[in-house]
Amino acid sequence: MSDWLLIDGVRRLLGDTCTFEVVQAAEAEGWSPSVWDAVAGAGFASLSELPLADALAVVTVAGEHAAPVPLAEAVLAAWLLDEPVSGPVSVAPAGELRLEGGRLSGTAVRVPWGHAVARIVAVVDGQAVVVPVASAARFARGTNLAGEPRDALVFDCAEPEDTRPAACDLRERGALTRAALMAGALTAMARLTVAYARERRQFGRPIASFQAVQQHLVAIAQEASLVGVAAEGAARVPGSFEIAAAKVVASRAALTATRAAHQVHGAIGMTQEYRLHHFSRRLWAWRNEYGDEQHWAARLGSTVAAAGADNLYPAVTGGSAVI
Amino acid sequence: MLFAPADLTEQELELQREVRAFLAKELPRGTFTPGLGMAAPRDPTFSAKLAHRGWLGMALPTRYGGHDRTAVDRFVVTEELLRWGAPVGHHWVADRQTGPVINRFGTEEQKQRFLPAICRGELSFAIGMSEPEAGSDLAAVRTHAARVNGGWLVNGTKLWTSRAHESDWFVVLCRTGDDSGDRHGELSQLIVDLRSDGLTINAISSLSGHREFNEVVLEDVFVADELVLGEIGGGWAQNTSELAHERGGPERWLSTYLLLEELMRSRSELFDAERAQLMLGSAVARWWAIRRLSLSVARMIDSGEAPAVQSALVKEMGTRFEQDVLACVQELVALEPVRDEDSPFERLLFEAVLSASSFTIRGGTNEILRSVASKGLGVL
Repeated sequence: MSDWLLIDGVRRLLGDTCTFEVVQAAEAEGWSPSVWDAVAGAGFASLSELPLADALAVVTVAGEHAAPVPLAEAVLAAWLLDEPVSGPVSVAPAGELRLEGGRLSGTAVRVPWGHAVARIVAVVDGQAVVVPVASAARFARGTNLAGEPRDALVFDCAEPEDTRPAACDLRERGALTRAALMAGALTAMARLTVAYARERRQFGRPIASFQAVQQHLVAIAQEASLVGVAAEGAARVPGSFEIAAAKVVASRAALTATRAAHQVHGAIGMTQEYRLHHFSRRLWAWRNEYGDEQHWAARLGSTVAAAGADNLYPAVTGGSAVI
Repeated sequence: MLFAPADLTEQELELQREVRAFLAKELPRGTFTPGLGMAAPRDPTFSAKLAHRGWLGMALPTRYGGHDRTAVDRFVVTEELLRWGAPVGHHWVADRQTGPVINRFGTEEQKQRFLPAICRGELSFAIGMSEPEAGSDLAAVRTHAARVNGGWLVNGTKLWTSRAHESDWFVVLCRTGDDSGDRHGELSQLIVDLRSDGLTINAISSLSGHREFNEVVLEDVFVADELVLGEIGGGWAQNTSELAHERGGPERWLSTYLLLEELMRSRSELFDAERAQLMLGSAVARWWAIRRLSLSVARMIDSGEAPAVQSALVKEMGTRFEQDVLACVQELVALEPVRDEDSPFERLLFEAVLSASSFTIRGGTNEILRSVASKGLGVL
């Protein structure tokens, strides 16, 4: 059972700090010291010490507020090392890296907030390697669709602070954090869109009174609910089946629900001035990170197919306990 | 959060194992003709076997022959029966909705008269809601019951009454008021014997050629006072409560499940291709997630909530998904199915192609469900 007191605390904290202006500014500047300091000051940065389901509940809240700090990465780093990590830390999702004589060389790509964190965790040949960002020979800043920093770091015989066998599968657990973030972003998007439809008047009445608009609102609520229970289910039992299934439905919802939300908002939703893009752009970015719908569906499908027809329904109900 | 997280307890998992073992023993594959979810054939002998195991009327009180179990227990049994394609037709309506509604609104005499027989799998019920002029707009029913000595004289026509010709009773939604203009306040529910004098059942062939639908014409049918269900004038609220039992359950997302399982069984080589694996993985992910929503609805019922909005959301999404599964299967297999094939897959495909359009209509059209849901979402 999740620690609701803690999660409510995070929700309040992020609700207070991740205002529209702060999230907007973080995109321009590539970092939000005010949000990170608030999070660190409240002790939530040691999320790594939380049980997995609680840590993911916090990640979902971060998605709900489009929090411009690497909370998901802090959680992921701790899982990889099986130990809490202090200070701002990120994780290299991919790259071409090698260990030679214990030293790290090569390129880590698409590292969230790579330029702004103190250290990163990379997985090389099954080893989780912790290196200070300062030890990178050079780096190139980049962003994802949402304008979140996704940087490339080049290492040339960098000395790791720590090297140990990775305690979990990077791609699976990375996908798990993205499903949790997406569940939060979908919840926020559903709420925002209902509020907008009630407020916005055309033809002399709120657009929410039109059945055609209501149908969009219901579709968003359905997808948000579906991803919510899927992410929650994968957090309870973080097996290969559950993670794959959660990322499949989340990545699909990122397309269908954002399409409906933008349709309801009309032109204002297409601007930087209005909050919708904080969620829709993140959903579009996160749907691809750590594997998209096709990647996980094919992987899940090949496992299910190999288990055979007799195990199909047991798999639907029992997930990774069965296959 | 609209849906609280829900998992099965160890006891519920044990029940799931029992049902699976029972089906494997009593109804081995290849020894019966499986159906598409709740449209599966009727088999009173099979219903009696389920009753013997205590799997009918599960959530009804033991003093009326029920088992004082939960909506989740019933969910566990039901999903296994449906995914197996088991012949649930005989007891389906009585077990799902009429039993619970009589238990909730019925008199002591009605409970003693009907519930034990429902729990034994003996009595079968049909649904007397739709009419020629009252489809989605149920409050427009015209069937009228006039007060007479000792009861009511009913006149009108019910339509789309599935299995009326094979059932014993149906619960009729009708007008008992004096046309005061109160659309909801003058509605009542009567429990009507389908063999009553003055009652005629006319077959309506469905497009698949099955006898399933009926038109039930009531001409001066006498219904005694003791067969009034609940309050005179309380029919609308009771009927709404009955509909909550009709929506959100596994029958709303499992209708085409067996089609995919049988495809895997009969043409496993298809699933060596990545395209098929992708489609299979996609479907399984969605079944897994929708099932969690549906299970959450059952838990809400057990905690005394009335999850009308959640049920509507699940049914609307689940039935579209059922149609999506069929579409995916048709994309994978280039085959025009023909009737009376030996292959269970082809037979189910034939049935599915001809019946899938009804999935998003029966039990409330998706358009109406979206309106129900949007009201509950605080949209207006």
